[in-house]
Amino acid sequence: MKRVTFGWSFFVTVCLVIFISVPVWGRTIKIGVIGPMNFVQGKGHWNGAIMAADEINAKGGVQVGKEKMKIELVKSDSNEFLSMTDATNAIERLITSDKVDFIVGGFRTESVLAMQDIAMDNKKIFIGCGAAHPEICLRVAKDYNRYKYFFRGTPFHSGYLVRTSFAHMGFVGAILKKELNIPKVKVAIVAEKAVWADPMVEAAQGVIPKMGMDVVGVWRPSDKATDVTAELAAIQKAEPHMIFTMFSASVGITFSRQAGELKIPAIQVGINVEAQKDGFWEATKGMGNYVFTMNTYARGVEVNELTKPFVDTYIKRFGEVPTYTADTYSAILHGLVPNIEAVGSLDADKIVARMENEESNVPSGRIKYEKDAQGRPTHDLTWGPGYLTSLGVQWQDGKLVAVWPNKWVAAPGAPEVTYKGMVPVKIPPWMKK
Amino acid sequence: MVNAGFYLKRFYTIVRGEVLVLPSRIIVALFFIILLGLPLVSQNPYLIRVVILTSIFAILAASWDLLSGFTGQMNFGHALFFGVGAYTSALLNIHLQISPWGGVPLGAVAAVLAGLIVGIPCLRLKGTYLALTTMAFPIILMGIVFALPDLTGGELGISGLRRLSNSLLGNYYIHVVAMLTLCTIMWKITDSHTGIIFHAIREDELAVRASGINTTRYKLLAFCLSGLFAGLSGGLYAHYMRIAGPSTLEVSMSFSVVIWAVFGGLATIYGPVAAVFILFPLLEFVRFWPEYRALIFAVIVLIILLYMPEGLIHWVRDKIEKECPRCKIRNVATRNTCRICTAALD
Repeated sequence: MKRVTFGWSFFVTVCLVIFISVPVWGRTIKIGVIGPMNFVQGKGHWNGAIMAADEINAKGGVQVGKEKMKIELVKSDSNEFLSMTDATNAIERLITSDKVDFIVGGFRTESVLAMQDIAMDNKKIFIGCGAAHPEICLRVAKDYNRYKYFFRGTPFHSGYLVRTSFAHMGFVGAILKKELNIPKVKVAIVAEKAVWADPMVEAAQGVIPKMGMDVVGVWRPSDKATDVTAELAAIQKAEPHMIFTMFSASVGITFSRQAGELKIPAIQVGINVEAQKDGFWEATKGMGNYVFTMNTYARGVEVNELTKPFVDTYIKRFGEVPTYTADTYSAILHGLVPNIEAVGSLDADKIVARMENEESNVPSGRIKYEKDAQGRPTHDLTWGPGYLTSLGVQWQDGKLVAVWPNKWVAAPGAPEVTYKGMVPVKIPPWMKK
Repeated sequence: MVNAGFYLKRFYTIVRGEVLVLPSRIIVALFFIILLGLPLVSQNPYLIRVVILTSIFAILAASWDLLSGFTGQMNFGHALFFGVGAYTSALLNIHLQISPWGGVPLGAVAAVLAGLIVGIPCLRLKGTYLALTTMAFPIILMGIVFALPDLTGGELGISGLRRLSNSLLGNYYIHVVAMLTLCTIMWKITDSHTGIIFHAIREDELAVRASGINTTRYKLLAFCLSGLFAGLSGGLYAHYMRIAGPSTLEVSMSFSVVIWAVFGGLATIYGPVAAVFILFPLLEFVRFWPEYRALIFAVIVLIILLYMPEGLIHWVRDKIEKECPRCKIRNVATRNTCRICTAALD
């Protein structure tokens, strides 16, 4: 009797273990999310991806041929800011040990280039969601058969980032001219001492005079400077109307706070990554008022019908406005999934063939993959009216509001672009005295 | 057949008489066997990748030990040699289409020249001053890299390099055999007459000079030899990663090498190699807890250095082996008398 009881207990236990171990949904689509997970960029990658996965799985999963598959995410810390070796190990592990079907993420260009090679060796579709250098996509054009599995998910390449900044400068310059009755706007260029800013400074010095404005000087504080009063004193002496900023690090807070304290009679326009964050107002003790920076998302702005639901849900879930690396959401939900469903398989070649020719709406605009001058696919993102433009946002009395594009005409004869939720730019009141 | 039997018997006698008598030698033999036989057990690309990179960094760590551990020339800018090897090999591969088999040794030659360039002005410096001065060199080179983006690729580095082999196993054996060979050469150098002089320079340079030895020449030799091996590891790294970028010159790279060497035990060659083979895979192992990876790594290193200030391998060796007070020959710790002179060991 005792033996029978033991035998039955063993049988029931084995059945239970098998029942628990085997997923109800059978095969899942494994997506590797790779990024610097201990940094805000990696957190954006992961947050965007889990939002997309939850949304897809809540609807029953992805229809792959006759089978319904759920999305399973695999988180991978690339640690790419500190070690490129770590990043390549992480992607190798994702592909060969975790056996993911697709990969999204990546941030630092040098690391993305190395990771790209490993993904291409294994013919895995890799949607880059962070690195902006054009070279990553030029590889697709140069060696299509090898690199065709790479697509840029976000942001548009750095050449377009520069053009957008200049568009912002032109936009604010026109307002200054009109409101302050200035014949010629004077611009001070202030860029942190970092390699990425070097070509932008050079380009700005060449382009600003062509835009009908004067450059009064170039200042290059350290990217981690905690005091920039010397630079601000010199800038104040040069009497600019506009300060064209290029900040990606903490100097963005220092500069804005001290410029606000000194009430420098010039408006800050350009790139200030710290000013894109919700904590900027608190960090500058309100002195960052009227700072204008480029951004991808803002509260209350609708680039299209997908923007508001995405931004609102993201804020509700994570308590902050999404950063651009959270576009892993679009890469999965609007990039991968519709194409998997359309081809009815996880075959990378079939998906690539369809994806590179498809256009799709995403919360930040509309995605269309570019071809180069010779007609070769680059899998890079198209920039401009009707596609991706990003936003110009400004801090106005404690709120980060979107101010651009507002009646923006990209080129003579081009359609005027204004997104829903735009508000007028505010000039610092101390400039009007 | 008779000859084969003779050699087998001789091999067995050597193994029994020279290898199996000491635990440390058994561990080294097992290390060789496991590394060379690993692909027979598993060909997981991730595992193979980790072992290849570990091997490359083991060469780098041992090359630092050759300079700083043996001669006491504290070099905090070892990434310079690594970066010079990587960039030179990459430039030759991309611009002159030189095969990696030619590029890697030429990169090492360039690193030797870098060793001379660093060594000559640093000869008068010692201790902290030398450490800080050497730390500046990779930063200067990084500035040059960024200043010449058309040649060096700037922040992107030089990508699209060819690998030494296109097969997984080919790459594995090239890097592992290179590591075993180069580290054995370094160990033999330190065990030679030159190595004894390196040791002596670290202990008392004045006494060495008083003995009529040109210490300047030997210190320069140490810089060049260290540069040669570090340059080889840099070239191997660049071709394996298929990119030579500014990260090869980062300060963190220089400090990683110091951590590995100190963790394993200075002035041993095998200590830094063992440390890399423990610490590098350990960092991969703790990927399951990404938020605390760096913390776990730091805690382990701190605990080891707190309780084993001379390094892990020195400590382990002292636990499993004893040195004969009379003839200085090492014996297994369980013996009561020396295996050579039969003197009492306690």
